[in-house]
Amino acid sequence: MRLRWLVLLGVVALVADLATPRGRVRAMALRLARSWQARVAIEGPSMEPTVMDGDWLLVDPLAYATRSPVVGGLVLAADPREPERVLIKRVVTIDPDGWLRLEGDDPDHSTDSRAFGAVDPATVSGAPWFRYWPPGRIGRLR
Amino acid sequence: MDLRRAFAPTRTAHAHCDVPCGIYDPVQARIEAESCYRIIEKYHASTDDVFRARCLIVKEERAELAKHHIDVLWSDYFKPEHLEKFPDIKDTCWKAAKQASKVKQGVDLDAAKELLALIDKIDEAWRGTGGAQNTRLAS
Repeated sequence: MRLRWLVLLGVVALVADLATPRGRVRAMALRLARSWQARVAIEGPSMEPTVMDGDWLLVDPLAYATRSPVVGGLVLAADPREPERVLIKRVVTIDPDGWLRLEGDDPDHSTDSRAFGAVDPATVSGAPWFRYWPPGRIGRLR
Repeated sequence: MDLRRAFAPTRTAHAHCDVPCGIYDPVQARIEAESCYRIIEKYHASTDDVFRARCLIVKEERAELAKHHIDVLWSDYFKPEHLEKFPDIKDTCWKAAKQASKVKQGVDLDAAKELLALIDKIDEAWRGTGGAQNTRLAS
């Protein structure tokens, strides 16, 4: 069963590779593969309406390996009060020392930098960029 | 093959909110502080050592709860825009939390009274920022 999926994926990749500049397709495929490995389920209301409780997202774990997060970008970051808990928030400002101020898209239902202060950029573990579930709301995240 | 299970993430990202209910009311702190006040009165009125010891234990618990509720209001309820309207609120919450510690440490009735007054000031800011309409259910 898994083999059939792999073959299908291979065919799709081959067609895509033939149809577009090859480097871009391979980079996209790699990004997809690593984002699939780092996919997350959302729990909590603080990012509504961008992301809802129960959404499944692809997360690029290397998005910030070579560049810093930008204002307005979505990030996964460790909760400074409970580092094993991974938070999803949006960068609202960046302090002069490079630390990030994160906030939820629904500020009335979000505990974020307003409560726990700026966050060390080293604790950012990736950029959520695509929702693949539920089927009705599949699409890129902004 | 269970497609859903195959596609399900194994990790969770928290779109986190400490109090997802969004319900806040300084009355929670007020009730604990009133308990402290009454217990301190009872403590001074009694000569029974066992009863007085119980008073101290209960007062410590209640004062700690008052402090917790004050902290939650400050860190979760009050927003930057509230501070513009009530610029003293940070200082008031800070003083109230410290006052709760004072009530926890001693048996001074005036300290408990002062805690109540500070909680009432927080209550004023909570009402003034629409807390009564927005963070409680209509009864």
